[in-house]
Amino acid sequence: MSKNPIVKGKLVCVALNDAEQFNAMQAEFAEAPYKGAPQQPVLYFKPHNTWSTDGAVVEWAQVDGSPAEQMVVGASLAVVFGKECCRVSEAEALNYVEGYTLVHDFSLVEQNYYRPDIKGKCLDTSAPIGADVVAVADPQALTVVTSVNGTVVNETPVSQLVRGVAELISTISYIMTLQPGDVIAVGFPGQRAPVAPGDKVHSVIDGVTELNNTLGQ
Amino acid sequence: MKHARVLFNGSELDVTVEDLFAETGQLKSKVDGLLINEADVTWLCPVKEPGTIFALGLNYADHAAELAFEPPKEPLVFLKGANTLTGHKQNAYRPDNIEFQHYECELVAVIGKEGKNISREDAMDYIAGYTVCNDFAIRDYLENYYRPNLRVKSRDSLCPIGPWLIDKDDVGDITNLKLTTHVNGELTQEGTTADIIFDVPFLVEYLSKIMTLKPGDMIATGTPKGLKDMQPGDTVVCEIEKVGALVTHIVSEQTFYGDKY
Repeated sequence: MSKNPIVKGKLVCVALNDAEQFNAMQAEFAEAPYKGAPQQPVLYFKPHNTWSTDGAVVEWAQVDGSPAEQMVVGASLAVVFGKECCRVSEAEALNYVEGYTLVHDFSLVEQNYYRPDIKGKCLDTSAPIGADVVAVADPQALTVVTSVNGTVVNETPVSQLVRGVAELISTISYIMTLQPGDVIAVGFPGQRAPVAPGDKVHSVIDGVTELNNTLGQ
Repeated sequence: MKHARVLFNGSELDVTVEDLFAETGQLKSKVDGLLINEADVTWLCPVKEPGTIFALGLNYADHAAELAFEPPKEPLVFLKGANTLTGHKQNAYRPDNIEFQHYECELVAVIGKEGKNISREDAMDYIAGYTVCNDFAIRDYLENYYRPNLRVKSRDSLCPIGPWLIDKDDVGDITNLKLTTHVNGELTQEGTTADIIFDVPFLVEYLSKIMTLKPGDMIATGTPKGLKDMQPGDTVVCEIEKVGALVTHIVSEQTFYGDKY
């Protein structure tokens, strides 16, 4: 079923986890329709039609039969599970991780966060996942750097996420049992980078892994 | 034909459900034709490799009114993880320290053929058949972010499905099927698919415009009015005319998770 050798079951992504974005949106969070800042991690799935690979061409989205006016990309550190992870504490959470890789989340521009963004997020091939799963002692020390056509557009230290890796694993494991081959993308930059057809997107975590994709026409 | 998947002697087995099942309780192995008694099996999710699980919110006019929502102008679609799926006559849990957990009896259309940009006119060619799910919700956990959020709708065991997948042609017209839910024998929910706002052909067209649909993907089409809180010890039966009756036992979080609690 999977077009990706790493993710086998679920790809869970965490939205609104960039502290800069989270703090900047406080006034908006207070208004309708949100009526309060999120108390829990804001999660969404990238379903199996979205899964793709390092080096793959990402389809340019069609909206109602016409090419999308704009797409954006964010990159995230991704946790790959090596064993079943059910109701684990923050202290033991990292013991369930096989290793780390990168995920690109290509989407339409994020308009709001009130309803599940099926139209924006579930596009075919829009979730490339890195080829390597690498063991890392301290995932909080990593930084994800993304470039579009050679120009750096985002630099996101994992330490600046509202909720860190171990906390997310613990919280999510109390909602859903995670299985080997499940992946959590722990946080994307709040400012997603705009991309155009043909653009080359490169993300890297220094010393860990890289992910390269090209936008289709 | 009705297709089911069961655990029998410790192995997963594909079976068909015999016509006289209601009287005989017999299932037939697809491997060797062996007849098996229902008493000797554990029912599993009837879809062998579950793909994307789409579910609809507020898709019955009467239910939207019950929750004080305007009927949506566009389908409210959310996704569920396969961790939510469990079979007929299995346990689903009530989380500790919550006020309101309700069932949702839903007709599920299962995709049988890959397709993209499928027209409403062709949509039914892409449906393999139907089953029933109980798309439980924990209303205490609702937040206004990607609502209904995963904490409400993607919990382990909280989407029982089955008992079987019935071929599309064995059901025929799905535009006026009666749905009922009974809790401990008492009728608590009653409706008809005639009240569906966005029907299966519409949803296939709508979703396939966004993304490729694949065999094993499922569309849970929403629930009519009639919500009721569930408690450990309750038995809930979601039934859809011509499709099947799905039985679920509610247990506590501690009972469900056992050693992992």
